[in-house]
Amino acid sequence: MAAKDSQTAAAASAQGTKCAEQQNKTYVSDSDRTALEIYRYVESAGCGQWRATTLGDLGNVVGSYDAKLTDLLKGLWSQKYIELRKWDPAASQHVVFTEGKEKFFHQNGFQIKVAAAGRSYFESLEQAIAPQEPQKNGNGTSDGDYTADSIKVLGGMEAVRKRPAMYIGSTGEMGLHHLVYEVVDNSVDEALAGFADRVDVTIHIDNSITVVDNGRGIPTDEMDVDGERLPAAQVVMTVLHAGGKFDTSTYKVSGGLHGVGVSCVNALSHLLELEIWRDGSVWEQTYSKGEPTSKLKKTGTTKKRGTKVHFLPDTEIFTVSEYNYDTLAQRLREMAFLNKGLLITLTDERTTDQKTGEPKRTEFKYNGGIGEFIKHLNRGKSVLHDKPIYMEAERDGVNMEIALQYNDGYSETVFSFANNINTVDGGSHLSGFRTSLTRTINYAGQQLGLFKDVKENLSGDDVREGLVAVVSVKLPQPQFEGQTKGKLNSDIAGTVQAFVNERLGAFFDQNPPVARKIINKAIEASRAREAARKARDLTRRKGALDGGGLPGKLADCSERQPERCEVYLVEGESAGGTAKQGRDRRFQAILPLKGKILNVEKARYDKMLGHEEIRAMITALGTGIGKDDFDASKLRYGKIILMTDADVDGSHIRTLLLTFFFRHMQELIQRGNVYIAQPPLYRIKKGKFEQYIKNDAEFVRVMVKRAADGIVVRYGEGAAALEGAPLTKFMTTLNDFIGFFDKVNKRIRDEKITEQLPKADLTKRTDFEGDSKIPSTKIAALEKSLQAIKKERDIKSVELRFEEEHSLWECTFVNSQGAEHVINWELASTPEYRQMMSKYKLIEQYMQPPYFIETVKKEAGSGSNGKEELSDAERADQDKLEQKNPKASKRKTEETVEKSSPRELFDYVLNEGRKDYTIQRYKGLGEMSSQQLWETTMDPERRTLLSVKLEDLTETETIFTTLMGEDVEARRKFIEDNALEVKNLDI
Amino acid sequence: MPKKAIRSLRCPTCRKIVLASDPEFPFCGERCRIIDLGKWASNGYVISTPLNDPETDDSDYPSERAKKP
Repeated sequence: MAAKDSQTAAAASAQGTKCAEQQNKTYVSDSDRTALEIYRYVESAGCGQWRATTLGDLGNVVGSYDAKLTDLLKGLWSQKYIELRKWDPAASQHVVFTEGKEKFFHQNGFQIKVAAAGRSYFESLEQAIAPQEPQKNGNGTSDGDYTADSIKVLGGMEAVRKRPAMYIGSTGEMGLHHLVYEVVDNSVDEALAGFADRVDVTIHIDNSITVVDNGRGIPTDEMDVDGERLPAAQVVMTVLHAGGKFDTSTYKVSGGLHGVGVSCVNALSHLLELEIWRDGSVWEQTYSKGEPTSKLKKTGTTKKRGTKVHFLPDTEIFTVSEYNYDTLAQRLREMAFLNKGLLITLTDERTTDQKTGEPKRTEFKYNGGIGEFIKHLNRGKSVLHDKPIYMEAERDGVNMEIALQYNDGYSETVFSFANNINTVDGGSHLSGFRTSLTRTINYAGQQLGLFKDVKENLSGDDVREGLVAVVSVKLPQPQFEGQTKGKLNSDIAGTVQAFVNERLGAFFDQNPPVARKIINKAIEASRAREAARKARDLTRRKGALDGGGLPGKLADCSERQPERCEVYLVEGESAGGTAKQGRDRRFQAILPLKGKILNVEKARYDKMLGHEEIRAMITALGTGIGKDDFDASKLRYGKIILMTDADVDGSHIRTLLLTFFFRHMQELIQRGNVYIAQPPLYRIKKGKFEQYIKNDAEFVRVMVKRAADGIVVRYGEGAAALEGAPLTKFMTTLNDFIGFFDKVNKRIRDEKITEQLPKADLTKRTDFEGDSKIPSTKIAALEKSLQAIKKERDIKSVELRFEEEHSLWECTFVNSQGAEHVINWELASTPEYRQMMSKYKLIEQYMQPPYFIETVKKEAGSGSNGKEELSDAERADQDKLEQKNPKASKRKTEETVEKSSPRELFDYVLNEGRKDYTIQRYKGLGEMSSQQLWETTMDPERRTLLSVKLEDLTETETIFTTLMGEDVEARRKFIEDNALEVKNLDI
Repeated sequence: MPKKAIRSLRCPTCRKIVLASDPEFPFCGERCRIIDLGKWASNGYVISTPLNDPETDDSDYPSERAKKP
């Protein structure tokens, strides 16, 4: 396409930009060297232009059209319209004689379309170029009743039969149906003129058609045709371009498909029977292949008025003979919409209803006109506003009827009609409407102050997303372009535009809610267009001098087999540097990503991945992005490993990255290409021994185990002893419990009161239920326990309340600062409360302070109990430690310490565990040496990687959406409710 | 966290429900995907941590432990 475009662009000669409504101007070639020119229509924001595509020897196309014209059309096929124009030396102007391309291109497959178009063009072309045949070419072989003059008439009919496609578009299904439209159009013309209100169409079992109207009936009186007296009806049926429609006094407005009228139908019918009811008499005449087979005869009297045409299409002409009910129904429905109040019926005698035995029949009558048309087009869709916007008026002799309604879709459905003819290629009426729609919406948007965040005005494309509109104009002597009248050329764009400006503007003034919805939708469309542009920028190739196209900061590996390579996406430049030094450069690549910090204010701390980072990542991975470009098989690495700091910041960057992968590179996750590195959070060291610990939970576990090995804890009244494995278990559970306890306490804000909650054992809804007079036992007990510490805690009041909305009891207290806190089912059903309670149940039996901690002298082997609980690695570590420093695990003295609460016990034990160790907590990857990073996180022999699974990511997506959300309150609540998860996004 | 296969999500762009079996999952369609991609491409995604986040801020919470000897 690109090459062709440049060709056409270069060839675009002196044609200036012309607005659509001016397209009917002629183009004068600077020489008549070129016999034929192809013009393409270039559209931009409702104001298009015709550009010539001149092939120097296009004149020679005739004769070898197949190859050349086909090639040419292939190059231009994506253009909306193309035209072939011929230089007419006599008139000194170009004459347009081809049709809008879409007519042709809507048939069959693309290749065939081109070929078909080529052929049709050629046929049309030959017709147009061929010297005008003399009208009198007679071979007078008819019988005596017909003179040489009538042969001229038959000659016209022969021309139709010789080249039917020129007159009705094709000899296929489309042409076959066009015959019906021609006849119906004549009847509708009678309705337009106000003389008919009903048209009945019947498909008979032999696929012949009858069309009956209740109009005036075709005139039957004789008229003078080239000196011959013939009935007017016969002239209408046999002479091309005959009829009253060329005289605006008879038909103020008129349709008619090709301006050739019913005579074409006659010419292409094996049989045609005409019956006219007029002035109390019935007239009949028959034809075959356009030739009268009887004279127009008066056969009787009648009170009816109107015309009946029955015809059987000629199978010698048409390649198909079967009529399609739906095709006809669609067209007739359209006609009924466009002519409100007109009744059109369609009966199919080929199909009968099994129950009633009646033929299939549909009636079309719409008093709402095109307003109902819009509703019909929008059926099954959800619309932005209930009623279509409707406007109708007559100005400057043009009757305009326009209806529009928006739905929530993205496509545009616009039908335009001029004198009931579906102008598939639009024209001046449509461009007037579009220009005005864009202008009016922009104006109204400004008036309503909706464009605060919008940089540019809305474009025509923006305002047409989701638009369903029908533009129907009726005007005397319409000018059409192309043989199928696909485009209106009459100069009425200004009239339509002024009309729509006024009416639509007034509508928006009076209906601001509807205006807002429509304008906001257009703003959305504009944003989407802008987003799409930015998305394209992501993968836009930079200049050729960029060298290979890989991002500059990627430290690539030397191995070229993707499945053996891995890339670390590392947070931060400094950690990236460490990773670059520590990696095995043969197969490990490093891409440092910088999380940008925004908005460095006091209130919040914003983190994002800049588009440079995303672009670098996409380029490094090599997969491309977007529906059409993403290709997982182009991935340059078998493993993509996210390596971020083990802090909140790191988890944010990781969430961002995972969300991006989930949304736009999901296939990589499905293929198992995405991993998360596990850098350690702690290093504990004593002498030459060192150990890396990956998270807080493990740290506590290790510390507690080390401490518990050698102490006995006595608790409760009986001073029961707790030691060894049960002690370790208690300590780790206690740690969890304290974590949740603290969270619950954030709501209560008094530790002593929160301590009462686990004892009160309020876990089920029923614990809060009770008679409105008598509270449940458990909540009453809680109230008692709060009363008991009221003085000590300086609580102002404690009371029980019956909350009527849920019929539940709640316990409230007002603290020393006057703040009221509530203990109710809502609190008891929070995740942290439930977790706190479940942990509490596990250790309830030990929750009996005071605690006495006895440190025992450690004898050889006495720690074995504790050691059994350790993992192999830990045991090895400990063994190593014991071997090297046998005294290390022995406590110095035997002593007893008293602690009054579980929390103090925990803190003491943890501190005992930490004794003698140097503990380093890594705040970031950058604090590790390259050697440490390699050993702990990157060495395939020693590292652990978490493989990212799709189901994990659906959770990430939820987290992300909440974190991204604009609802600050929801985010705060989410973070509170899921505090642990957010802290350690361990996925 | 419990790991279970989620069958549907809301489209990140338009919030319509999207089934996991839909071709553009987690988006409802090509258009919403492009809008989202455009957002990534224009620095539109920011994770924001309020500094008075209850996770990190205990300033108005009287620390019981601090009072103890």
